[in-house]
Amino acid sequence: MREALTLAISAILLAGFYAAMAYGLGLIYGVLRIVNLAHGGIIMAAAYLTWQLFDRFGIDPYLAIPIAVVVFFLIGVGLYLGLVRFLPRGPAGAVQSLLLLFGVWLVIRNIVYLLFTGNDQAIQTRYATSSAGILGAHYSVTRILVFLVAVVALVALHLLLTRTYLGKAIRAVAQNPDSCTLAGINVERVYAFTFGLGTALAGLAGVLASTLFAFNPSFGASELLKSFVIIVLGGMGSVLGIASGAVVLAFAEVFSIYVVPPYLTTAVGFVLLVVVLVLRPGGLFGQRVLR
Amino acid sequence: MAVITMNGRSARLPAIVALATLGAAALGLAACTPTQSSDDSGGADAIPAKIVIGATLPLTGTESKTGGRFKQGYELAVEAENADGGLDLGGKKVPVELKLLDDTTDQAKAVNLAQRLITQDKVNFLLGTYSTTLVEAQSTVAEQNQIPYVNGGGAATSIYGKGFKWIFGTLAPVENLATTEMQWISEQQAAGKLPKPAKVALIWENTSHGKDFRKGVKDFATAHGTDFQIATDESFALDGKDFSAILSTVRTAKADLLMVDAHLPDFITMQRQYLSSTMCNKLITYGARGAESDARAALGQKGVDYILSAVWWNAQLGDKGLNKDFIDRFTAKYGAAPEWYQAEGYEAARALLAAIAGAGSVNKQKVRDTLSTMNIDSILPGGKLSFPPANGGQADYPFVVQQNLPDGTSPIIYPADVATGKGVAPNPNCKG
Amino acid sequence: MTAARPLPWISLRALITFAVVVLVLWTGPLVLPLGDYTHNIIGLTFMFMAAALAWNWLGGFVGQISFGHSAMFGVGGFVAARLMLAFGLPTVVGWLVGGLVAGGYALLWGHPTLRLRGPYFSIATIGVGEATRLIATYWSDFTGGSSGLSLPLSSGPTKYQLYWYGLYLLVAAVAISYWLRRSRIGLALLAIKEDVEAAADVGVNATRYQDLVLFLSGTMVGVCGGFYASYQAFIDPQDMFSFDRSISLILMTVIGGIGTVLGATGGAVVFVIIQEFLLANYSQLYLGLYGILLILIILFEPLGLTGLLLRLRRLIGYRRLPADAGGPASTAAGSATEAAAAEGQKGMAEEAQP
Repeated sequence: MREALTLAISAILLAGFYAAMAYGLGLIYGVLRIVNLAHGGIIMAAAYLTWQLFDRFGIDPYLAIPIAVVVFFLIGVGLYLGLVRFLPRGPAGAVQSLLLLFGVWLVIRNIVYLLFTGNDQAIQTRYATSSAGILGAHYSVTRILVFLVAVVALVALHLLLTRTYLGKAIRAVAQNPDSCTLAGINVERVYAFTFGLGTALAGLAGVLASTLFAFNPSFGASELLKSFVIIVLGGMGSVLGIASGAVVLAFAEVFSIYVVPPYLTTAVGFVLLVVVLVLRPGGLFGQRVLR
Repeated sequence: MAVITMNGRSARLPAIVALATLGAAALGLAACTPTQSSDDSGGADAIPAKIVIGATLPLTGTESKTGGRFKQGYELAVEAENADGGLDLGGKKVPVELKLLDDTTDQAKAVNLAQRLITQDKVNFLLGTYSTTLVEAQSTVAEQNQIPYVNGGGAATSIYGKGFKWIFGTLAPVENLATTEMQWISEQQAAGKLPKPAKVALIWENTSHGKDFRKGVKDFATAHGTDFQIATDESFALDGKDFSAILSTVRTAKADLLMVDAHLPDFITMQRQYLSSTMCNKLITYGARGAESDARAALGQKGVDYILSAVWWNAQLGDKGLNKDFIDRFTAKYGAAPEWYQAEGYEAARALLAAIAGAGSVNKQKVRDTLSTMNIDSILPGGKLSFPPANGGQADYPFVVQQNLPDGTSPIIYPADVATGKGVAPNPNCKG
Repeated sequence: MTAARPLPWISLRALITFAVVVLVLWTGPLVLPLGDYTHNIIGLTFMFMAAALAWNWLGGFVGQISFGHSAMFGVGGFVAARLMLAFGLPTVVGWLVGGLVAGGYALLWGHPTLRLRGPYFSIATIGVGEATRLIATYWSDFTGGSSGLSLPLSSGPTKYQLYWYGLYLLVAAVAISYWLRRSRIGLALLAIKEDVEAAADVGVNATRYQDLVLFLSGTMVGVCGGFYASYQAFIDPQDMFSFDRSISLILMTVIGGIGTVLGATGGAVVFVIIQEFLLANYSQLYLGLYGILLILIILFEPLGLTGLLLRLRRLIGYRRLPADAGGPASTAAGSATEAAAAEGQKGMAEEAQP
């Protein structure tokens, strides 16, 4: 029983990271109907940025968050204005966006590789191996901090989407872009902002990831895949949906150890993805079904 | 099948006939393929103007760091040989040229480039690439073309268990890593420092490296009856992110010894999670990992204290003879101390060169035979290097066990004849 | 369309041109002084062309982009290798059985997931590919786990001979491509690609057709996996089932021109050539260069090299197509019609109007 509790808390902490990881992908897909395959690459690039800030300027990763968010917001807007904007909308555009952003991912990987070589890097802060006690068991301080940051981000995002004009515009555009033009909303600007925001969120995830794991230029692929699983599980309708999807995935992975050997716990997510897609094409929470 | 028909006839029958004919034709035609006219011999006995040794290494890609190190070793050995004009073949000094290509850590490229080196560049001999799967794939090319292939980058016994005659490896089997560590542990048990029987939590990455490590531990445990009890035996996928599941099985097993085989990034992640969960065991080892400066940088000195590791070669192995020679040469050329990667690369190249000199020609068969029977002095533990045919051409020698001490050093603690320090067990930070 | 032709979807001119090309490729190595290395690379390229064509059936003809085709490649390869090791089956039989098993596996996961359209399907295929890789690496009894499987060197065709085996694979793939495209089935597929529901309204059973294409695609890719196993004489799951492998199939087809036969074959050739060239000179950059190539293609010429060729033809005054094909933002309908028209025009060579 104690064991189960420890695992449960571990799963919750993991869910925090997973949610932060998936927000960006979910937002972009929910609003622009574009699958951002460069998502993993952004996470990786953000990890490297954090590492460089830490290594060269001694900036603590958590303090680097605002910097990373701004930098990647700008990068995201740039990507939209420079590339994504030209893709056709609708089904044909979906396929092309997959391939275009995949190309962007390859380029990001290569740039990082050229700058920093393929070696593994890790960030060693003074508190990286400290732990704190929760309900009798010990957990890494960094995992707890990551969870807290993720929760704050979730709340902030939710407030942005529900309380601000911009947020409402984003949600309106997600529902019906054409009506929005009629209502006087500059749809293109909303798209650009959303893409930037989604990229910024991926950047945030990258900062958090850098404090938890070692990374190299190939980092990010499994994060991308898990983000897909999460947005399918939880739907892209709301921030809360993504958070729920993250919780489901995290618990499935952590508790699957009772059913499958530890090696296969990563496969659990993918199997879950396929099963859910087949049984409920709209995701567990019955969101929009793509035709 | 509701087919839209335009002239009223279904398109199925002709299609099926067509496919069937195609299938039969394919099977029949497959028999009619030209065969290659036989190639030239394995090399005349004439003394060539230069000896060309071909090799591929992962100079880019995931293993680029290690590939670069092997390159250093190869180049150092070739340079040393050329220092006095070249290799002595029947009284004449023949310069040695190393033709090195980048296989980008990709199996298919390693195979194709090896093919190219053999058939297009017409190299005399091959040095191997790095990482077991690449070596295993590339070795088939060498065997098919009957050209001697000496490598320092593939340790899995599966490479040498295929009955190949042309493949030679300087890396001792990873099982020896486990065995050597277990031997030291046995000594500690005899001295009362570690419990007998000792509970072992065995965690291994799902690669040939990990599997061989696991085999070594299990074989030793079985051979030593009641001294060891394997409480957990689990594998994990490379580049794992969350080891809490595995670590929790270790915790519930209440193991005395935690024996893990992992690559650097997984070691760092796992050790971090281990430390933060305030777990502790009387002894920890991560296979070959732990003593690297990268590990210390990522985890801090306290994070790596008392970690046991075993490597194929260590610079502390000797300040005399061949070892001193190698270390001095290396430091002079590259300005840093060598690690086992460079040492293994160096030895592989040196062994090949020694075999060519011993055979007195570039005849591939002769050099292969020399490699098969040679037993030369070496910088490797044990002082000797040979490629016993009984092992399929893989060298066999003990590993050196080292332990991280709080003062920042990692002395060799076993085998006794090369030890530079005393090991500590159990972990003083963990008495329970 | 003329009547009284036994197989209405083959034009005589296309058949003859095709036969000539095959003959040239067959006899080439015997008369030209190709080095061993080039010879082997070309043989391997034939296999990649066949695999790209097979991917194209699902990706280009039906319009469902699969990111997980390496799953079938790996299944085919390992089944073939296992059979050859365990029962000493002749090579081609081993490949065929491996291919069929792979096709069956494709049906297993594909039948339910093909209900999904567009990105959802693609995402599902990513999940399938990765799950297959993980499970296969764990299942050492079947794949040898991370140690992989080794085939005995003495049995089976040599790398030299595999050139011709590859050529036969390619011929089969092209023939099937033609059949799928130009026959009634092709029209049905086009209808499904455009608008599934409308197609159903006119009596096209989407599920049946998609299953057929999926099975064929999986089988062919599985056979290619068997070929690869024989070629390398050593396969391991991390390499066979890798995501990079799935991606390379997509890259080949997209660079060449998605949806077209010439595109998939040409794209494979270009892919291999670029890879060889980049490896030799700019091995540090080849990922990035692929990425840039992909971006440029998507933005400026979604039909890849085939699209470029079409434009060139139009430029030199070859008037066949109605109106124009628009710029970078061609609509889906526009490019699909163009692809269909292009298909009507192209093939392995010029031919009479259908």
